[in-house]
Amino acid sequence: MSTIEFKGLVKKYRDVTAVDDLWAEAKPGRITGFLGPNGAGKSTALRCLLGLANPTSGESLIGGRPYSGIAHPLQEVGAVLDSSGFNGSLTARQNLKIICAASGIDYKRINEVLELVELGNVKGKRTKGFSLGMRQRLSLAVALLGDPQVMVLDEPANGLDPLGIVWLRKFLRDLADQGRTILVSSHQLAEMQHTVDDVIIINHGKLVVKGTIAEVTKGKSLEEAFMNLVVGA
Amino acid sequence: MKLLKSEFLKLVYQRRTYGLLLAAMAIDVLATAATPYVLSKSKLGIEMSLSTPTAVDAIYAKSLGGYLFVVIVGVFLMSSEFAHHTAIATFLATPKRIRALGAKLIVAAMFGAVFNLVASAVGLASGAIALSAYNIKVAPDSYIWVDYPASAMLTGAVLAVIGVAIGTLIRNQNLAVSLTMVWLFLVDRLIAFIFPDWGKWLPTGLITSLSDLHIKVGGANSPITIDTSSFLDPWPAAGMLLVYGIVFSMAAVLTTLRRDID
Ligand SMILES: Nc1ncnc2c1ncn2[C@@H]1O[C@H](COP(=O)(O)OP(=O)(O)OP(=O)(O)O)[C@@H](O)[C@H]1O
Ligand SMILES: [Mg+2]
Repeated sequence: MSTIEFKGLVKKYRDVTAVDDLWAEAKPGRITGFLGPNGAGKSTALRCLLGLANPTSGESLIGGRPYSGIAHPLQEVGAVLDSSGFNGSLTARQNLKIICAASGIDYKRINEVLELVELGNVKGKRTKGFSLGMRQRLSLAVALLGDPQVMVLDEPANGLDPLGIVWLRKFLRDLADQGRTILVSSHQLAEMQHTVDDVIIINHGKLVVKGTIAEVTKGKSLEEAFMNLVVGA
Repeated sequence: MKLLKSEFLKLVYQRRTYGLLLAAMAIDVLATAATPYVLSKSKLGIEMSLSTPTAVDAIYAKSLGGYLFVVIVGVFLMSSEFAHHTAIATFLATPKRIRALGAKLIVAAMFGAVFNLVASAVGLASGAIALSAYNIKVAPDSYIWVDYPASAMLTGAVLAVIGVAIGTLIRNQNLAVSLTMVWLFLVDRLIAFIFPDWGKWLPTGLITSLSDLHIKVGGANSPITIDTSSFLDPWPAAGMLLVYGIVFSMAAVLTTLRRDID
């Protein structure tokens, strides 16, 4: 239903091919880890998926449609991107109101999502003073505003403390158990081992391996498997 | 409607908007209040009898200066999206970029019109007070009470749209704001000063034309010359300003549709 599909996605910048003929998918009810070293092309692939970057060729679809073809995108897809931000001179609540207004989401939902990400006590504070972890939680709150079936998360654990990471893991698991599609990028492999059901590993924009965590790790740790595949045994 | 509301909130939540409105009011008040004094000082070589309708109109026309701040409101409305990376949230909520940008341009135009109307109303009031302080009984041409507010709204709308367009073309916020200031405060005026025939086609010249003042004061021996005698009539000037607004909007749409957002 709400499967995410990369179909031969290519994204070239002037002198680098950031994503090189990527074929992969993320399925409902599962957490799919999108892994690769720095500069592998994870963020670029996700930005193409969300219509923020124009692919050079190929396509990426959510529930069979390109992102730009979804009538109410925030109600179907929640996204946390590494480069997204907030207007620091506005409060957390004001930042979210602007987004709710644009997508027809009831303002009531703002308090709910801020409670969910444990930012209820700072909703009236300007985001200028937010720590990295608080910003990350606020991004997650934005992704949850529309109660979407699909979540696309680029390095959501960035800036979170160990407690926050445990919290996030449980949070994503709950979402997947509700049948949602979760695609989450990371380079923190040890952490991902315990979080994901499926993995997509890319390097230099190219697919290295994809499958269930058991198929890919073959009993070893994800870190070991990754080293063997990416760095070359 | 949803999008218009969202863009409107971006303006009203931003405290800077109110600062810029105060600045626009201040410049209009200062200009209308100071002009009677300047015109009455023959030392500057632009002496004009204050007791003529044209001089009185010229004083009230100084209430149209708020556009300098309207354009900055427009620049910030767009460039802050890139500076704070909120453009990502904006275009995730509205992936059809032309709709998001269209809403921004419409809101900028409406807000700019009202913004400049308020600033000019304050300026007109200050002009009236200044004239009564100078004990000048000559009435301005009565059309200015309609034409100047209308001109303020038109220039406010067009300049706000131009500001948004500049914000899409120059994504660096500081650069966008500084270049806009340098252009309107300096380049436009310098060109108008050195090549008056070109200057009348530039925004500053067109906005001056809206006040329908064909003045020539000063001359070869005076340090300051004001010569608007060959400026366009208000209607063609208004049309030309609209053309600027349309051209800038199209440039904004074209760049925003093509470029990646990050
Ligand atoms: N806007 C851009 N212009 C030019 N090159 C870019 C741009 N964005 C990304 N790249 C290049 O594309 C490649 C992939 O970058 P990307 O950010 O997608 O990697 P990543 O897998 O997300 O890395 P990280 O783990 O560090 O976040 C890199 O070589 C990067 O330099
Ligand atoms: Mg990245």
